[in-house]
Amino acid sequence: MPKGESLGEFEHLVLLAILRLGQEAYGMRVRREIAVRTGRDVSIGAVYATLDRLETKALVTSTLNGPTPERGGRAKRSFQLTGAGADAVNRARKDLASMQDGLVFPQPGELG
Amino acid sequence: MSPPSFARALLFVVAGESWAECVAGDLEEEFGLICQSRNHFAGARWYVWQVVRSVVPLIWIRMRSGEFRQAALAALLGAAVPLVMLDRLWSFVYSQVPLKDGIGRAPSLLAVNVAAVCVGSAITGTAQSSGKAAWTTALALAAAAGIAVWASAGGAPVLYAVWVVAAAPASSLIAFRWRRNR
Repeated sequence: MPKGESLGEFEHLVLLAILRLGQEAYGMRVRREIAVRTGRDVSIGAVYATLDRLETKALVTSTLNGPTPERGGRAKRSFQLTGAGADAVNRARKDLASMQDGLVFPQPGELG
Repeated sequence: MSPPSFARALLFVVAGESWAECVAGDLEEEFGLICQSRNHFAGARWYVWQVVRSVVPLIWIRMRSGEFRQAALAALLGAAVPLVMLDRLWSFVYSQVPLKDGIGRAPSLLAVNVAAVCVGSAITGTAQSSGKAAWTTALALAAAAGIAVWASAGGAPVLYAVWVVAAAPASSLIAFRWRRNR
């Protein structure tokens, strides 16, 4: 990823979901992982649009697996992080940690 | 149990070549789980709502991939350009006729327009590589034909407009199937 091109918030979530899911990272599992961990009910289309963008940026790669009966005989596309994807996640984590370092967070409702 | 067919059809229309199969598979997998844990109605409702919410992102993927650009180009060359060029030609011909009352086109000239659109659309149909691409192009041709008729200078009888809008995608799909079967 070129220097200065940072991850969007949803892109970041999708990359983290892929990292967490490992071999089981495909569209619906990524969607479910984000829903369970963040409470966001995103559409499968939004997840695939982000995965497509991440693949264009070479942050993830995909492989097409064989069809299964529970999927109505349709193929499954699994996603893996590339080296650039892992770098992007690490950089985002470092940036976030650096920004949060030493901060005193206000309590909910404290600022009116 | 299978998901609602209209929602599945909509998904295949809007999803791009490379994504339709895996998106549909993902949705069917989750649909099956919801049907098991709750009931078929809940699963169907969830499926339809997912498809509806996914329309815009999936179209966006196709626009980025260039599939829509190809369909738009085919529609432009197959339907819009022939119709607009013929319209300009008939306008010129009519301008040479003295005491011509109005700009309404003669039925024979409108028939030539329909024939030209059929030929142009059929040529684009033979150039398609897959059924999905052929359907996308057919829809784009119908839209382009409709816009070109609406924008034409001459009067456009409803029957003529219907013929043009129907003939463009039909010719393209027939030509695609003819070429595939050869």
